[in-house]
Amino acid sequence: MSRRTLAGVALVVAVALAACAHVLGFTTSEPTAFPHRKHVLSGVACVSCHVGIEGPSSALHIPTDEMCITCHAKPHDTRSCNSCHASRETAAELVETKDHLRFDHAKHLAGPAKGNCMRCHSAVAEGDRHLRPAMATCFKCHDKERDARTCNTCHRDLAEENSLPQSHLAHDGDWIREHGTRAASSGDLCETCHSRQTFCASCHGVTVPVLAGPTRLTNPLSASPHVGNFGARHSLEARAEPGACTTCHQPERCASCHRDRGVAGDTRASPHPPGWVGLTSSENLHGRAARRDPATCASCHSGAGEKLCVQCHAVGGVGGNPHPPGWSSRLPRSALPCRMCHPSGAR
Amino acid sequence: MTRLAAGLALLVGAGTASADPLRLRGDALASAESPAGLLVLDAAGTTGSAISAEALVWMAAQRSPGDDVTGDVLVIALKARDPKGRASGQIGRFVSALGALRPLQIDGAGGRVRLPWHFDVEAMAGVPVLATSVDASRSWDWVAGGRIAQRIGDGGSIGIAYQQERDDGRLAREEVGADAGIAFDARHDAGARVAYDIAGKGLAEAAVTASARRGPLRAEIFASQRSAAHLLPATSLFTVLGDTPAQRLGTVLTWRAAPRLDVVADLGARRASDDVGEDVALRTRLRLDPTGRSSLGCELHRSGGASDAAWTGVRGSGSLALPHSFGLLAEVEVVRPDEDRGRGALWPWMLLAATRKTAAWDAAIAFEASATPEYRHRVDAILQLSRTWSVR
Repeated sequence: MSRRTLAGVALVVAVALAACAHVLGFTTSEPTAFPHRKHVLSGVACVSCHVGIEGPSSALHIPTDEMCITCHAKPHDTRSCNSCHASRETAAELVETKDHLRFDHAKHLAGPAKGNCMRCHSAVAEGDRHLRPAMATCFKCHDKERDARTCNTCHRDLAEENSLPQSHLAHDGDWIREHGTRAASSGDLCETCHSRQTFCASCHGVTVPVLAGPTRLTNPLSASPHVGNFGARHSLEARAEPGACTTCHQPERCASCHRDRGVAGDTRASPHPPGWVGLTSSENLHGRAARRDPATCASCHSGAGEKLCVQCHAVGGVGGNPHPPGWSSRLPRSALPCRMCHPSGAR
Repeated sequence: MTRLAAGLALLVGAGTASADPLRLRGDALASAESPAGLLVLDAAGTTGSAISAEALVWMAAQRSPGDDVTGDVLVIALKARDPKGRASGQIGRFVSALGALRPLQIDGAGGRVRLPWHFDVEAMAGVPVLATSVDASRSWDWVAGGRIAQRIGDGGSIGIAYQQERDDGRLAREEVGADAGIAFDARHDAGARVAYDIAGKGLAEAAVTASARRGPLRAEIFASQRSAAHLLPATSLFTVLGDTPAQRLGTVLTWRAAPRLDVVADLGARRASDDVGEDVALRTRLRLDPTGRSSLGCELHRSGGASDAAWTGVRGSGSLALPHSFGLLAEVEVVRPDEDRGRGALWPWMLLAATRKTAAWDAAIAFEASATPEYRHRVDAILQLSRTWSVR
C-alpha cells in the first residue's frame, strides 16, 4: 500500500472518529467554563465581578465586558468575553434557577452565609463547572422544609420544573417496573413533583381506557409499558407474567375490549385452543392455565360467568376438586365463593 | 364523528377562570379505527399553597355497532395542606396508595398527618370506583385502610399498611403490607415491599430492589413475586385454585457510554408455574442534540418462558426536531412469536408522525401500519390536538 493510500485511509478514519466523537458528545463547540477557581486563587472577591448581588435584584448577575476590562485592560479579541469564557450550560443553569427557585442572595448573604459566598458555593474550589450548590447544601439549614416536604419554600413549581432526581430515586433503567417498590416507601417524596392525582390515575385509574398512550406522539420518549405494537404483543406479555396487567387494570377491562372485537365473551369466537376442556386430566388444558393466571380467566368469566365452572366443579360434579393439596380457607362454606360449589355446606 | 366535532368545539371554546395559578388542558384524539375519538379535559387550580383542586373528565366515542358515547370522571379532588406540611388531606375521586398495597381508585377521602419523631400516619376510606365498562350496578361496597411509617433519612421510610374492602357487606379484600426504603448515601439505595392477603391467606406481592451508581454506571438488582389469585377479590371463584406465584429476578445496568449515548441492559429471568424463561432487553439511545429532542433509539428484546408466551423483537425509533417547534417521529417494530398458532410468523408495526409542540399547543398527525394476530394488515390514521391554558 502506497504512502498516499495510507494517508488517505488515515484521513478518512480521523474524520470519521471526529464525526463520531462530535455525535456522541465527546467534543463540542461550546465555550470553555469561566475560570472561577483561578480568579478566586488570585484573590479576586466574588462581589467585585458579581456586582449588585447583595441588593434586591432580579438580574442574573453575569459580569459584563465592562467588568472584565477593569482588570483585563487589553482584550485579545473584539468579541464579548462571555462568548468564549463562559459555558452556556452554566448560563442555562442560572436562567433555570431564576425561573424555578425562590431565592434571595441578599437575604442569605446577610444571614447564614455571613457575607461569605464560599459557604454555599464551595464547588468553586474544586472546578469551574456546576457552581450552583447541590440541594444538600440548602438542607444544611433548611432541614425542616425537607422533613415536611414543603418544597415550595424554595421551588416555585416542581412539576413544571421537570427536574429528575439525581441520586436515589433516579428514574433510570426500567423505572416503570421499579417505581412501585420505590413509591411504596417514598410516596410523599414522589408527590413533591407528581403532586397531581391525574399523574397516577392516568395508569392506575379504572375509569379510562389508558390516557398515557396518546401523548407519546408528541413525547415519544416518555416511559410507558405500552410502547410500540403493544396491541399485538399484549397477550404474550400477559401470559408471560401472570397478574402484571391486574396491577393497574381491573380484569373486566380485558373482557370489555375482547367482547367489542369478538375475541371472547360472545359466541362469535373463542380464544381457547383445542383440548381446552376434556374428560380426563390429560385432555384438559384449562385447569393448569387457570392455576397459572386466574386473573385472565376472571377477565371473561367473573361474576355470572363463574357458573360455567360450577357446572362441572360443584361437589359431586364430573370436574372434581379444583383445590390444590392442603387447601384451607377461613371463610365459612355459606360465604361466597364457597357456596357456589358447596350448596348447604356440602363437603 | 359529529359528536367528536361538537366536543372539539366545546374544547376550543372553553375558557379559564381567574384563580391563580389555574391550568386547563384539553386533549382530542381521533383515529380512523376504533375508538373513533377521545376527548379529555384536565383542569387544576391552587390558592396559595394550602388549597388546590383538580379534575379530569373524558369522553370517548367508539365505532362498534351499538356502542354510544361513553365517558367518566377520572379525577375530581379537592386537596388541603397545612402550609408547614404537618397535615394534608383530599376528598373526591382519586387514586389512593398505601405503602405496599396496590393503588386503588376511590370516591372518598384520605389524609396524612406528620407526628413527632418522624412518624407519619395515613388513612383513607371510600367507595371503590368501578370501570365504566363493567356491566354491573354498584353494590355500595366500601374500602378503608391506613398506614403508619417512620421516615428514615432523605426520602426513605419504613411502614406497615392495612386495607379492607367489603362488597355488599361481604369481605372482598383484606390485605396487610410492609414497605421499606432507604438511601444509604448518594450512591446506594434499596427498597422493598410485601403485601399479604389475609382474606385468602397467602403472599399477594413482594418486591425488592437495590441500586448502586458510580460515575456513568448504575446497577440495579431486583426480585419480585406476584400471585395473581390474590389480586382478585376474595369472593371470586378463581381464588380457590391455590397459589401459583410468578417470580422475576434480574439486574438492570445503565451506562452513559458517551455524553449523548445511553445504553441500558435489562437482564432478567422469569418463572410462572413450571415455565422458566429469560427476559432480556438491550436499549440504546443517542441524543442528536443537547436537549435530546432529536434522537435515535434501538431496542432488542427476548422474552422466553412458556412457548405460547415467548417472543423476540426489535424496535427502532428516530425523532427529529425541526424549526418552528415542528418535529418528525418514526418508529418501527418487528416481533416474532415463538409459536405461530396461525397468527402470523412476524408482527411488523410502523408509526410515522409529524408533530408541533409549543407552550400552549400540542398537535400530531400519525400513520400507523401493522400486521397483528388480529389483522393481516391494518392502517390507521391518528390525529391528536391538545391545548393548554395557564393563568398565573
